[in-house]
Amino acid sequence: MKKKLVSLVLVAAMALGLVACGNKSAATDPEASADTASEAPAEETTKEDKTTLNIWMSSEPAHLDPALNSSVDGGCLAVNSFEGLMRYNAEGNLEPACAESYEVSEDGLTYTFTLRDGLKWSNGEALDASDFVYSWKRAAAPETAADYSYLCEVFPSFDYETGLGDDVVASEDGKTLTVTLGAVCPYFLDLCAFPFFFPVYEETVEATKTADAPQGTWANDAGDAFICNGAYTLSSWNHDSDMTYVKNDNYWDADSVTVTTLNVMLTSEDTTAYTAYQTGDLDFIDSVPTAEMQTAMQSSEFNIADNLGTYYAGFNYNSKLYEELGLDEEQAKVFRHAITLLIDRQYICDTIGQTGQLPATTFVPAGCADGNGGEFKNTDYYSVDDYDANVEEAKSLLESVGLWSGDALTQDISMTYLTNNSEGNVKIAEAIQADLSNVGINLTIDQQEWNVFLETRKNGDFDFAREGWIMDYNDPINMLEMWTTNSGNNDCQFGRDESKALDWAYYDNLIDEIRHEADLAARADLMHEAEDYLMDTWCVIPIYYYNDPYMVKGYVEGVYSTVEGMKYFYKATIK
Amino acid sequence: MTKYVVKRVLLALVTVVVISLITFFAMNAIPGGPFNKEKATSPTVQAQLEARYNLDKPLTTQYVLYMKNLVKGDFGVSLKNGREISDIIGESFPISGKLGILASLIAIFTGIVLGSTAALMRNKWPDRLIIFFITIITSMPSFVIATLFLYFFCMKLGWFPAFSAGENMTVLPVIALSMSPMAYITRLTKTSMLDALGQDYIRTAKAKGVSGLKVIFVHGLRNALIPVITYVGPMVAGILTGSMVVESIFNIGGLGSKFVMAITNRDYTLIMATTIFLAVIMVLANLITDIVYKMVDPRIKLD
Repeated sequence: MKKKLVSLVLVAAMALGLVACGNKSAATDPEASADTASEAPAEETTKEDKTTLNIWMSSEPAHLDPALNSSVDGGCLAVNSFEGLMRYNAEGNLEPACAESYEVSEDGLTYTFTLRDGLKWSNGEALDASDFVYSWKRAAAPETAADYSYLCEVFPSFDYETGLGDDVVASEDGKTLTVTLGAVCPYFLDLCAFPFFFPVYEETVEATKTADAPQGTWANDAGDAFICNGAYTLSSWNHDSDMTYVKNDNYWDADSVTVTTLNVMLTSEDTTAYTAYQTGDLDFIDSVPTAEMQTAMQSSEFNIADNLGTYYAGFNYNSKLYEELGLDEEQAKVFRHAITLLIDRQYICDTIGQTGQLPATTFVPAGCADGNGGEFKNTDYYSVDDYDANVEEAKSLLESVGLWSGDALTQDISMTYLTNNSEGNVKIAEAIQADLSNVGINLTIDQQEWNVFLETRKNGDFDFAREGWIMDYNDPINMLEMWTTNSGNNDCQFGRDESKALDWAYYDNLIDEIRHEADLAARADLMHEAEDYLMDTWCVIPIYYYNDPYMVKGYVEGVYSTVEGMKYFYKATIK
Repeated sequence: MTKYVVKRVLLALVTVVVISLITFFAMNAIPGGPFNKEKATSPTVQAQLEARYNLDKPLTTQYVLYMKNLVKGDFGVSLKNGREISDIIGESFPISGKLGILASLIAIFTGIVLGSTAALMRNKWPDRLIIFFITIITSMPSFVIATLFLYFFCMKLGWFPAFSAGENMTVLPVIALSMSPMAYITRLTKTSMLDALGQDYIRTAKAKGVSGLKVIFVHGLRNALIPVITYVGPMVAGILTGSMVVESIFNIGGLGSKFVMAITNRDYTLIMATTIFLAVIMVLANLITDIVYKMVDPRIKLD
């Protein structure tokens, strides 16, 4: 609400500014009237200071410790200050980073990484394979209690209570790292470029462990304890205000780093950041206020990066709603199928998303790899070409379960849509509400404060709720395994009500099979089967595929983004 | 006087304990938890974290543990980012405090000057002008003022950078913070000054030939300030501990935004610490207010 008001005030202020400019320009300089709010901000083509980049991504990340970070903006800071065995290049492809080369055994289970010579930490100490062993074991350890510790499930010895065993071994000379996996994992190299698997400096991590913070407090502030191995190291951190990163001269690829200072603004106010971008105090902003989107999009500095993720809505499989409507489990599916068809996705993309999102027709997003060298998406679970036809089909589906007759519903249908109270999500909820009201279905929007919303959704106290997932790595399993019965993300509550006929153990088994399938083509088929099985419940209702708008000044070159949303700044140059 | 202060401090302690009790059980009563995220943490990790911070124990046990540590001066660590709470408050309170003191001084000084001027020139143009602007300021919420400042002074006029690493903005946030209390103090001063100037003792003083200025400042203003002092005490306490809105719009890492974010994050330890901290400052401010009362108006008895 506050955000909305702030935007409104800004718009009003711009209007005022317009009036003022208009008066002045009419009298003095007719050219000055080009300074209007409806036009894109002037594009600058050069900047005096060629070595400093001022950027904004979000508010302060909870953790700079790469093992503990679980946010995308925190990940961006991690990939610029730490480096794993692998990294992504500007084309979005993996390339060896701390590793010089790697070999994969024929069965795909053993990876042998050869590390570069002369790798160093930011304090000048040598970094070798044993640092990776330490870091991975530490990341997996129960006292670290990292959100992403589940990623360690690829190692056969991993257990949440005891951590990681000896699947990761360093050679005597510290030159090679040998990793043994429990099953073929086509995305393992992606994980090697993921912050969770970045190396951390044993000495300061161990030295800063306390009873309250057994994970170590070394990355809580700038200072001597903050040691890293990437392109930049943290030189100052004014909490909730800004951070400064400076070039790490001990980085092996330091020669290709020309921007020597990265100033990071830390704020949750996108209007403040956008103002600072317009005044030239920022060179890069990771998002644009909704109210300014139309203006910003006209600028050549506006970029849209591909992003792997799906915005969707989810039905609670065990909701009482269906019994109240007199539907059995099969009929409930048909009902949810009808709801899926009633949502006008193109409208949501055009008027609310605004940045050219594509309507989603699958749960696993378009562009996601299948782990076997191709794109995963090979089907549409429904068409989005002709909305009117979809509405007609929805009516006949409703008719088939006795909810529709002639040109009206046969009974009152009222249900609740749960969403958090942020502007964009509420607007989407209202669009869905309007779509459903066209056939007489009454959707009440239940807006909850963020944390209450998460709790309610996790506990399954809802009929229908907003959902979204941005992929952590480029493999469909990241989207599919969240629906296993005991997953913390199984918001649709599949398999949690024994009285239901739905065989969700089948899905759990499928995921297990996928995790152990060595033949990548067969694995991709299994993943398609899992997505089919999931979509057949019609509990998961894809709306659009995320994309990632950002703005960067015309004089900055070489900033790039991965499909997981990670922004790399260390190859940037300033004209 | 000493007896009075001791009594008040003891009472203050009781107040703080009661506030801590209410806050503790209220924050645990609202749904949600510190480890909730869009991408849920695995149940095992969640359990590990809850055990680490004693959140798996009964609420009463948690409260007793918390208060025991607090007495030892240990506020614990933030559940969100693991930082020591004493560090968080230690670094953000001076930032908010500095802005707050400056803003309070401006508000008090300008408010009293404008209020007295308006009272002395009642119904003339300076009075009308002052009241006109004061009404506008009173009706503008702080986020409107702050956003307008940002827009005009940073963007249109370019007088201040909208972001400069390592430097907090001072001028704009201080003025933005001082606006609303300044307006209020102006109105209070004007009303009570008018009231004071109409009193018999002013007429007596004038009749005895006391000079005009002395009548105004010694007899009028001193008496007119009592209601202002009542307001200023808690106002300063509030302004010192920061404003969420002004701090976020001007990108200042102060204490004000911590209050609100702590609640959103269900960062229980930080909610407790910031609330208790604010309570202590409030109680102190009230105590000081009462003592200043006594100094300004000897008729007031402190028992």
